[in-house]
Formats: sequence, C-alpha cells, structure tokens
Amino acid sequence: MSKELIRLSDCVVKFDDEIILDHLNLYINDKEFLTLLGPSGCGKTTTLRIIGGFLSPTSGDVFFDGQRCNDVPPHKRQVNTVFQKYALFPHLNVFENVAFGLRIAKVPDGEVTQRVMEMLEVVNLKGFERRPISALSGGQQQRVAIARALVNRPKVLLLDEPLGALDMRLRKDMQSELKRIQQELEITFVYVTHDQEEALAMSDTVVVMDGGLIQQIGTPEDIYNEPKNAFVADFIGESNILDGIMRADGVVEIFNRRFQCLDGGFAKDEPVDVVIRPEDVDIVPETEGQLRGTVTQVTFKGVHYDTIVDFYGFKWLIQTTDYCPVDSRIGIKIDPDGIHVMKKSAYSGMFGDYSSYSEEYDEIGDASLAPDEEGSGDEE
Amino acid sequence: MKKQNRVGSRLLIGLVFLFLYAPILLLIIFSFNAGDSNVVWRGFSLDWYGKLFQNRLIMESVYMTLLVSILATVISTVAGTFAAIGLFGLKRRWRNPLMTVSNIPTVNADIVTGVSLCLLFGACFMTWGRFAAWFNDVQSVVELPERLTMGFVTLLLAHIAFDIPYVILNVAPKLRQMDKNLIDAAQDLGCTWMQAFWKVILPEIKPGVVSGALIAFTMSVDDFVISYFTAGSSTSTLAMAIYGMTKKRVSPEINAVSTLLFITVLVLLILSNVLEARQEKLAERRAEMKPMPQRRPILPPVVRRPWFRRTVAGVCACSLVLVVGALAAATGSRPVVNVCSWGEYIDEDLITQFEEETGIRVNYQTAESNETLYSLLKSGGGDYDVVVPSDYMISQLIEEDMLAELDYDQIPNFSLIDPQFRNLPYDPENKYTVPYAWGTVGIIYNSTMVDEEITSWSAMFDPKYAGKVMLINNSRDALGIALKYLGYSLNTTDEGEIREAYQLLVDATDGGVYAGKIMDEVFQVMEGGNAAIATYYAGDYLTMLENNEDLRFVIPEEGSNWFVDAMCILKDARHPAEAHAWINFMASTDAALANMDYIWYGTANSEAIAQYPDYYLENYGEELDQETFDIIQTPPEVLERCEMYLVLPKETRELYKSLWIKLGV
Repeated sequence: MSKELIRLSDCVVKFDDEIILDHLNLYINDKEFLTLLGPSGCGKTTTLRIIGGFLSPTSGDVFFDGQRCNDVPPHKRQVNTVFQKYALFPHLNVFENVAFGLRIAKVPDGEVTQRVMEMLEVVNLKGFERRPISALSGGQQQRVAIARALVNRPKVLLLDEPLGALDMRLRKDMQSELKRIQQELEITFVYVTHDQEEALAMSDTVVVMDGGLIQQIGTPEDIYNEPKNAFVADFIGESNILDGIMRADGVVEIFNRRFQCLDGGFAKDEPVDVVIRPEDVDIVPETEGQLRGTVTQVTFKGVHYDTIVDFYGFKWLIQTTDYCPVDSRIGIKIDPDGIHVMKKSAYSGMFGDYSSYSEEYDEIGDASLAPDEEGSGDEE
Repeated sequence: MKKQNRVGSRLLIGLVFLFLYAPILLLIIFSFNAGDSNVVWRGFSLDWYGKLFQNRLIMESVYMTLLVSILATVISTVAGTFAAIGLFGLKRRWRNPLMTVSNIPTVNADIVTGVSLCLLFGACFMTWGRFAAWFNDVQSVVELPERLTMGFVTLLLAHIAFDIPYVILNVAPKLRQMDKNLIDAAQDLGCTWMQAFWKVILPEIKPGVVSGALIAFTMSVDDFVISYFTAGSSTSTLAMAIYGMTKKRVSPEINAVSTLLFITVLVLLILSNVLEARQEKLAERRAEMKPMPQRRPILPPVVRRPWFRRTVAGVCACSLVLVVGALAAATGSRPVVNVCSWGEYIDEDLITQFEEETGIRVNYQTAESNETLYSLLKSGGGDYDVVVPSDYMISQLIEEDMLAELDYDQIPNFSLIDPQFRNLPYDPENKYTVPYAWGTVGIIYNSTMVDEEITSWSAMFDPKYAGKVMLINNSRDALGIALKYLGYSLNTTDEGEIREAYQLLVDATDGGVYAGKIMDEVFQVMEGGNAAIATYYAGDYLTMLENNEDLRFVIPEEGSNWFVDAMCILKDARHPAEAHAWINFMASTDAALANMDYIWYGTANSEAIAQYPDYYLENYGEELDQETFDIIQTPPEVLERCEMYLVLPKETRELYKSLWIKLGV
C-alpha cells in the first residue's frame, strides 16, 4: 500500500484510574479505509478522538505525517470528523453548514460557493442548499455531515458510527455510498463502528479492539477467516469455539477425536481454541458423522435454519439449509479448511458455547440498536 | 347542574383576578387623579406624571436604577453564560450539586441575601481599613483611603451577585438541549474555542441568554430589600426612593411612578414570553420535519452581514462607555454633601438652586423615622454629613457624642434664627443645631361629624364618639395626649402619672372609642370622612384640608407637644465644609420662605416669619388666611401651653414600651 500517514505510538488514556486505552500502537496509511471495530467501551471512539485532537493521550505519542501532534488543537489538524449524531448546526441551512469550515478559513466567497456546490453534488444533495437542517431526513442529514467535513479537503476523514442512527436499508445504501466517495476523493477514512458487517463490507483494514487493546489487525478476510483469539472469532460472525489439543501440524483433537486441519506451528499436544464457523459444518446421517449429537432447537432464518446441536453436552450452532427436526440424531462432517486453530488467550472459554443460545443471539442482535450507550460510555 | 358549576368556576376565576389586579388598577386610576388624594376623585389629569419628571429625587433614583440594572444585567449575563458553560462542561458528579448550589440564591429570602451581603461588605471594608492604615503608615508615596463606605459599587456588586443565578438558570436548559458534539464539530471545522462560542454555542443558547438577561434586568429594577442593605446612604434606587416617600403618605406621584414601573416590568415579561413562544413554535416546526418548499433551486449567494454584527458590537460598546462616563461624571470629583432628612420635607427646587449657587452636589436621602435614622447611624450604614433629627433624638445623639459642634462663623444665617428657637432644651447651649422646621400635634376633626367645636383632649376619650376616633399609633404621642389631658408633663418620669394616663387609654379602648390606631393612613381616613376625630401634625392637616374642606384643627386647651427638627452635622462627616454651606443655605430667609410654603411646617427664621404673608400674596394673588398661618406658625401664646419631648430615662422608656404592648393586646 501507500505511505504511512498517522501513527499512534504506545498511547495510554486514563480517566481517573480507569484505563481506557492500554499502550495502543497503530499506524494508518494514506488513502486507506480503516475501521476500528469493537463493542461499547472498547476504546475505539477514544482512539478516534485522539486522532481528531479532542483528547490528549495520558502518555504516548501521536504522529501525523511524521510530525508529533499531541498538542495540536483540533482546529489546526488536517483532519475532519463526521460525528455520531451528525452535530449539524441547527441555526444554519444546508449550504451554510457545509460552508462553515471554509468561512472560518476565510476562503473567498466565490470559491466557497463553488466548492460547496461540488461537494453537495458528490453527496447527492444538489438543490437542498436552502433547506434548514430540521427539514432533512436522517439520511440527508448524514450526507450534509459528510459534505461539511469533506469540503475542507482533509487528509483524513474520521467517522464516528455515522450510520448508527439510520434504518437498515438506508444503512446499506450509505455503506456503498461512503465507499464510493472514499475511492472517488482518495482520502483516508478512519471509521468507527460496532457493527461487524459494516466493517467487513467497507474496510481495507479492520482493527478489532476490546478492553482498550487491539485484538487483531487485518483485512476483512483475515479477520473473518483467521481470527487470532476467541474474542475476535466470536465478535466477527458466529463461531463455535471448542477446546482442542494440537496433536501435530494439521491434526487437532476435539472431543477425543482427531480432525484434519490446515494450521500448524504449535507445540506438540498444546491446548488450543478451535473455531468452527456454523456455515462450515455439513450435516450427514448419524452413522456417517465425525461427531454425533442431538438437535435441541431449530429456528428458521429465511436463507437457512439455525440449528442447535448437543454434542456430548456442548452445544453448537450450525447453519444449514437442511431441516432437522428437534430431538433427531444427526452426524456432522467438517472439512479441514473449516477448522481454524487459535492459541489459548485470556478470552478462552468465554465465548463460543451456544447452550444459552437464545439470550446470546438476542444480545448480539440488540447491540446494533444501541449506539447511544456506546457514545456516552466512551465519554464518561 | 354542569352549567351551574361552570358559572360558579367562572365567577371564582373572576374574583381571583379581581383580587389580584384591583389594587394595581386602583393605583393606575389614581395616578391620573387631578387632586392629591388617594380616595377622592377630582377628575382626569396627567399632572402627576408631569411632576414626576420634575421630581429630582425620583429622577435621580430612576437614573440610578437604570444604571445599576443595565450594568448588572450586562455583567451578570456575560458571567452567568460563561458560568453555565463551565458548569455544563463539568462531570455529572460535580455538575449537579454545583447547579443546585448556584440555584439556591434564587429561592433564598432577599432579606437574608441583603443582610449577608451587608455583613460581607462591612467585613471587607474593615479589613481594608486596617490594611490601608498600615500601608499609609509604612510609606508616604501613595495615600490609600482608610474609610470605605457602601455605595454604588457595593450596590452594583450585590445586583450582579443576585442576577447571575437567574442567568445560569435560563442558560443551563438550553445548553442541556444542545448537542455537545456541536462544540467539537465547530472546532473540528477550524474554530478556536472562542470562535466556536460565537458561531455555534451562542446562536444555540441565545433564547436562554436573552430571557436570562431580561429576567435579571427585571429582578434588578424590582429589587428593594437587597438594595436597601447594600446601597449605603449615598445611593438610592427607585424602589428605595418610593419607600422613602411613603414615610409621610402615598403621594399620587408614587402612583404615577409605580404605574410606569408596573408597565415597564409587564412589557419586559411579555417580551420574554413572546420570545420563548416563538422559539417553541420554531422548534415544533423543526420537529415536524416538513420539507420546505423549494423556491429557489439554484444557489442564491448567501448574504453575509459582518458589518451588522460589528455595528451592534460597536453600539453596545459605545453605550457602555457612555454609561460609565456618565457615572464618572455623576460621582466624580465634584464636591458633594450627603443629606438625610424626611420624605416630602423639602422644596426640591432648593436643592437645584443650592447646587447652582455653590457647585456642590447634594445627595439627598430620606429616612423613615428617628429610630431608623438612629439605627442607621449606629450601624455605620449611613455616610451622611447632615441629618435632620427631631428634638428628643438630637439630645440622644448629643449624649452619645455622635454630633459635631457647629462652626457658626460658617453659618452667618444663624443670626436670623428667632431667639425663641435658640438654646432649646435638646441643645441648651446651641452648639450643635440649626432649626429646620417645627410644628405641633393637635386634634383634626370633621366638623360635619361632631356637633360641637372641639377644644379639649377629652374628645379623644369621650364615649360619645365611640367608633369615630383614630388613635395615633406611637406610644409617646398616645400616652402624651393622655398625660396632657390629665394635666401632667409630657416628660414625666412618675410611674403613677404614666399608669394613670395608660388607664385612661385602656378605658377608652374598652369603651370602644377607638376605631383604630394609625399613622400615615390618617390622610385617607380623614380625607375620606371615615373617622370624625384623629390626632396628627399641624402641617399635615393643611394637606388634608385641600381634599376635605370640612376638616378642622385645634391645639387643645390643655396644651400639646411641639417639636423641632434641626439640622446637625455628624461627627464623622466627610464633607464638613459643604455641610455647613448647606445648613447656612437652608437657614436663609429665601430658602425658609420657599420651604415653609412647600411643606407647611413652621420656620425658625424671624425674617421669613415676618415676610410670609407678603410672600403668599405675591405668589398666590390672595391674602393669607390668618387661621392657616397660625396653624403653620403656631403663635407664641399657644406655644406656651405646649411642651417639647425630652429623652426619657431608660426605665421610663421600658415602662412606655411594656404599657404600649399591653394596650395593643
């Protein structure tokens, strides 16, 4: 990729005695679409605020284009932000909102008009200049916020859960819109979200965070296919996470049964976490299965059935198009590339068991509806 | 059934509103009365409004009120807005308790705020005094003033102090409604914090700031109690001036000024409500999210008006400078004399005349009673040079060494004082005083309500007039009447005599003679013909006579009290030379004539006494009625029967007090 633009080096943020960011190291390349992904309170918004200049790290350095910029106030940074609830100025109309930054910079009137109009065209809001902010829909306000930030031609655009307040369909539209704008204008985007689908769909690079620490950095494919630990595996998509023992390179033992896998480089007989994605499991007649279990619950999801299967007291989620009635005995088969082996971590044993299936699933569903809690959680 | 209920509730609402607004309505109506009574309607006139604008005391206090209110409003609005923003930026743990604390002053009793501010200023001044004394001791380059007194600055500080919470209270909700990210957003787009404040925060919270300022202004204009405790003696606001004027009676001038005050406050309140309503409507329209019709799809260049804001800022700054300049001119280095007298006790043209002649500015204040004046002087709250107490109070002040000996060389007009009014019992060697005015106490009666000519105090105790007599509401005068009737001295210390007099009052009270005990209300009661007999001062009788020709005045044959109010200079007066000039001026024949004609109390200037009938003829084109003149200037043979009050010994004062309380119960 291209050159490095922003570097956070060993950044620590403490509020009172609470550690919000724990020795964070991160670099962001020019023209990259980078997403900070994690649950509420993971430190992603804090990281964004450090880049924006709204917050100084308790210790550690921030570099912008090679220059240390810890103490540069927000108004002097070549960075603009799209805020969570847009933070548009209610007393100004669309045009003046977008023109705000240019007016402050004392850009001549003619140029202001030209640049604002260009930007409104980019975000598909031509003809809305005279409207008051209050007369816009959520999606339109969103575009104004983006235009207002981009019109200043920042080197980096920071987006703090910009789609959180939109409904599902609009969110999908805006995702591709944002990606299009980013590519068209060739600007670095740093995007904060707790929605893994959003992160996977738009990003060049995804940074998964939890507890003030970076859990994994990688392309969306890396993150999904090669999660580094149980947290990442669980947070990105659905995962069955099992205790296993690495018997040899390419051989992992689960439930006293050996499975072929593609991973290697572990010590012999090392205890490991094994991730098996629900869609990578094939259901076969009981007699043909590598493992045998009982179906305890089936939920119709449209494209597939969510089937919960009890294997030796451990419940798995399996996504399959085949309907298996509750209480039926089934067998499963897993291809070697469906098995992903991870080193044990602090998160081992915390995730990946579907015995409390319904609650956990609901919780994940709920998270996307509560971006507000996240905001206030990070601020306090 | 239901209908009846509705009629009933409407009636009730009507009554409530009547109860609420009838007094104000009455006040407004009587401010247009042609006569000077508050009871008798003599036709429509705008005279009182005209007089109002010529009334120096009121106009000065209006100026002072506006000055203090505007300055306090401006300062407290700025301070309160930033304080609210500061509070808003705090963590919730701190913000909520601090908000509560900052709101307490708005619900705190004014009297508590006033007294505590008064104490605080007092303590500060004392500390400063010590520091200044020490500082002046150790060096001689700069001379610091050692004695500070309350005045404009303390008044302004007090107003700012009680205005700020109202501003915070109005701004805080607007801040809470504001998206906190707006500030971040503005800074993100290149604003410094100050730019963000002007361009984003201020437009958002403007309605709160405006209504906060309006309420602060209203509160400032309206305030009496706190001002009373913090203004000192040299400054007085409109409310204080009105209060001072009521000492004698509620003059229609007060009606006029109160009407104007009421209307001003009303307008301000309506203004702030309209603003709020408009804001709400706007917010509602926003909430409806009605897409606005697009009139001009092609970009209209947005008009920017930096000149507008600059002009406004310029005008504001200029007016502030003007105000401060005017203040400096008003309180500047001109010589000044601080006078404390009684309400409606001077022809104010004399003040102007004195100022023009001498270039000395007169700061003319009024007290309500001798006792108030005394406590003011004692507490150090007064910064007066000249005071005009009554006889018995003068002896008390002399006794307590609070008066300065006068330099009569500086008061050549003292030679005009009639010998009859020199070396009076309160100042036997005449070292401290120059008489200002004097008068007598007598019976005022309505000739249509009694069938005989009253000549004796007996009328005050006669069961024949049961329910028609008004007793004067202070112990010295009431018991004095009884003492005189019994043939004793007003200044007796004999407990038996005093108790005998008391018994007389008790019997009359039990016999239902007295319809009530009153002081200033006597004007309305007697003018309106609501009582037949009352005891009051001669000069005031003449005022009543103008509104009710049936009234008569008599100094009973048993004799009565006569009193002298005399000008004295306080020992710690800061402007003794100016004070002497003022006393000399007031003692002059011209001043005495004008003043006598205005207040209808007697003068001690022998030339003025002799010239008054001619003066009257010249000014009014008719002969002065001898009877009237005798009431103003009681003839010596009548005066012989009268006694002056002396300071009573402490135990006698206590006896008076306890008997008076018993009588009241």
